[in-house]
Amino acid sequence: MKKLIVSIAATFAVVAATSAMAEYPDKNIEVIVPFSAGGGNDTFVRALQPLLEEKLDTDIVVRNIAGGGGAVGLSRAVASDPDGYTLAAASNALQTLEAMGNVAFTSEDFDFVAKVLEEPYVVAVGSDSEFETLESMVTAAQNGQSVQVGVSGVGSSAHIAAVAFSDAADVEFNIIPYPGGSETISAAMGGHVDAVVLGGAELRSPLQSGRLKALGMSYEERSDSLPDVPTFKEEGYDLSLTVWRGIAGPKGLPDNVKETWVSAIEEIMAEGSFQETADNLGLDIAPLYGDELDEFITTSAQIMREAAGDLAQ
Amino acid sequence: MLAGYIEGLSMVFQLGTLLAIAGGTLLGIIMGVLPGLTSAMAIALLLPVTFGMPPVMGIGMLLGALCGAGVSGSIPAILLNIPGTPSSVATTFDGYPMAQRGEAGRALGLAIVASFSGGVASMVILSLLAPPIAEFALRFGAAEYFSLSIFGLVIIASVAGKSLLKGLIAGFIGFFASTIGTDPIAGVDRFTFGQLSLLTGINILPALIGLFAISQILKNAFEYDPAEKLTAGKHKIDLARPRFVETFRNWRALLAGIGSGSVVGPVPGAGGSIASLVAYDQARRFSKNPEKFGSGHSAGIVSVESANNALLGGALIPTLALGIPGEAATAVLLGGLMIQGITPGPMLFADQSGTIYGIFLAYLVANFAMLLIMCLGIKVFVKVLMVPRKQLLAAIVVFCFIGVYAVDGDVFNIYLMLAFGVLGYFLNRYGFGTAPVILGLILGPIAESNLRRGLQTFQGDWTPFFTRPLSATFLLIALLLLAVTLWQNYRAYKKDLEEIKSA
Repeated sequence: MKKLIVSIAATFAVVAATSAMAEYPDKNIEVIVPFSAGGGNDTFVRALQPLLEEKLDTDIVVRNIAGGGGAVGLSRAVASDPDGYTLAAASNALQTLEAMGNVAFTSEDFDFVAKVLEEPYVVAVGSDSEFETLESMVTAAQNGQSVQVGVSGVGSSAHIAAVAFSDAADVEFNIIPYPGGSETISAAMGGHVDAVVLGGAELRSPLQSGRLKALGMSYEERSDSLPDVPTFKEEGYDLSLTVWRGIAGPKGLPDNVKETWVSAIEEIMAEGSFQETADNLGLDIAPLYGDELDEFITTSAQIMREAAGDLAQ
Repeated sequence: MLAGYIEGLSMVFQLGTLLAIAGGTLLGIIMGVLPGLTSAMAIALLLPVTFGMPPVMGIGMLLGALCGAGVSGSIPAILLNIPGTPSSVATTFDGYPMAQRGEAGRALGLAIVASFSGGVASMVILSLLAPPIAEFALRFGAAEYFSLSIFGLVIIASVAGKSLLKGLIAGFIGFFASTIGTDPIAGVDRFTFGQLSLLTGINILPALIGLFAISQILKNAFEYDPAEKLTAGKHKIDLARPRFVETFRNWRALLAGIGSGSVVGPVPGAGGSIASLVAYDQARRFSKNPEKFGSGHSAGIVSVESANNALLGGALIPTLALGIPGEAATAVLLGGLMIQGITPGPMLFADQSGTIYGIFLAYLVANFAMLLIMCLGIKVFVKVLMVPRKQLLAAIVVFCFIGVYAVDGDVFNIYLMLAFGVLGYFLNRYGFGTAPVILGLILGPIAESNLRRGLQTFQGDWTPFFTRPLSATFLLIALLLLAVTLWQNYRAYKKDLEEIKSA
């Protein structure tokens, strides 16, 4: 009897060992998009999906679990097994939720695999606005003028970025949340607000058509997609932030999972086939992996938390 | 412009493009029939497929899905009294009573032709007037949105049924439910009880399907007569064909539908789902026999369905002319345009002339594909009613669960649907009606957030709501319509009183 148990145990051990050593991935990988189909996060994952399937040699199942501004889907991702078969499309929304204190998880509960795309937060005004520079806008607010700044969504990352900018400039703007990007843009075009703070991709078409003009943006350095727009730092406001999108999983992802994904994404980026899609969407490819990525996440989470402090109470 | 159209024609009339448009339309129709699945989902599913296609082919396919889902929501609304999307709520008012009379085929025939006419009319408006209409839509600020939503609330009087008071009570239930979730301006959680799924408020689709489908199924289950036999021959299959003549005979209703779809559609985020209710309301008010509405009147179906598809063309106006999508489906479509390298905006109408005219023509072709597929399918759809009720209802419950789960992939929405189902059952049973609840749920957030946004913008001054011309106009019309309704109610009341006296 004892022999039998030992042999069964041994068999299990062998099976377990082989399955652990088996090539990852050996089945479909589920990627949770914590927003409805069609949003920025969704488009990003769906555009990468065919390229990733080819590199990883498996099917990727995109699951939209929306609700709570990303809270529901990300909570589900955190709670799943860290075996590399359930991952999530991660973005600033994760840190925004954390900073606003709405969710039980923090960025510490995630293992970040890769950051893929970035866009800046852009301060833009209507084409016939009285403001020509960030400075003139800030001065007007300092002189007691009510400068109305539209943002997409209450407690959104754009909202927090707007608060962070007003903190950096040490002024009070009249920040008005709109339900989403398109409502905010049309309010600016129609002259119902003085300025907007939004992600660069959303602003791409109105900036190109000249209906809105950009006064400044939140990158550390100028970007190729908006070469004429000065950074906040150039204009003398100490703030750098980016809207980022990437892939994350629950804490404790095996190393081989991370390595497989990083090399797949590296190959895709090297081939350049994704470049055109990113350009068309108005996004910058800015891959980051490993320790550098962890450091980036910590820093940006810190800035978001500070700015959200005033907002969340 | 003519050269643009000729270039566009050569892009559209290729076998691959035509097939892509027809395929997109078919998928849209299938998604639209299932409660809970929306045109936005159909477009998002097709999006990766279009990446490798030439622009007009890819966008044509997405437009086909938009157009197909726009019409097929009427099928469950007419046959089963279940609107799959908010915009087909009003289709149930007259479509279902007509189907109950055994004339389901006639109702579907009217819906198909009205949708087609609405779609084609909106394409014409889109191609001729897009830039000026888009500019007009930009004039909507917080004050105008607020007044528009007040104007929309007057519609409650039209959908309330017998008692205006009960309709208002039902509307306020919807209004209250709309306050659940994160406060739109201050960001504080309201009535969420720590439930993450409620942070963004009550999702409209589970509420809709609960109020209309689940409540209907509960009613059927409680009133089920085991001895019931299916009466063959009750449903007149031979009625099932497209109704061109009858649709155009209801030209007033058709114009009301096209008008309200084209006016409400281009206003971003105005709650496109109210366009069909506005159309129904207007058609009823300007009809010679308003009392027939709600009892299976053809004008009711025509107004709603023409508005639904005119709305789609309307929503494309700001999407193409300004890059501002009006609602979820056009937001996904905008993503598709950007990936194709087409940047929407005024320049699109000037520069890539061939492509933009190709897109207009593709939308026109999508409408024809929709007409063709629906005409081929109409007799099959009516046969759904031949299925015995107990099997049919069981199948519908399954589809409701699948559809509502698919909305967000969140199980909580299923509980929400069931709760609203029970609420809807009791509301119907005691004559409150469920349509005003949906209206409150849709208009509540628009009214509340824009009132507060306006007050914040005007720094606490409330006079701009009355002094801005557009805003004042909406409020004035709302007041007039309200006065007319009260007067009509008063007259009806006096007439009833006299009849009682003379009896």
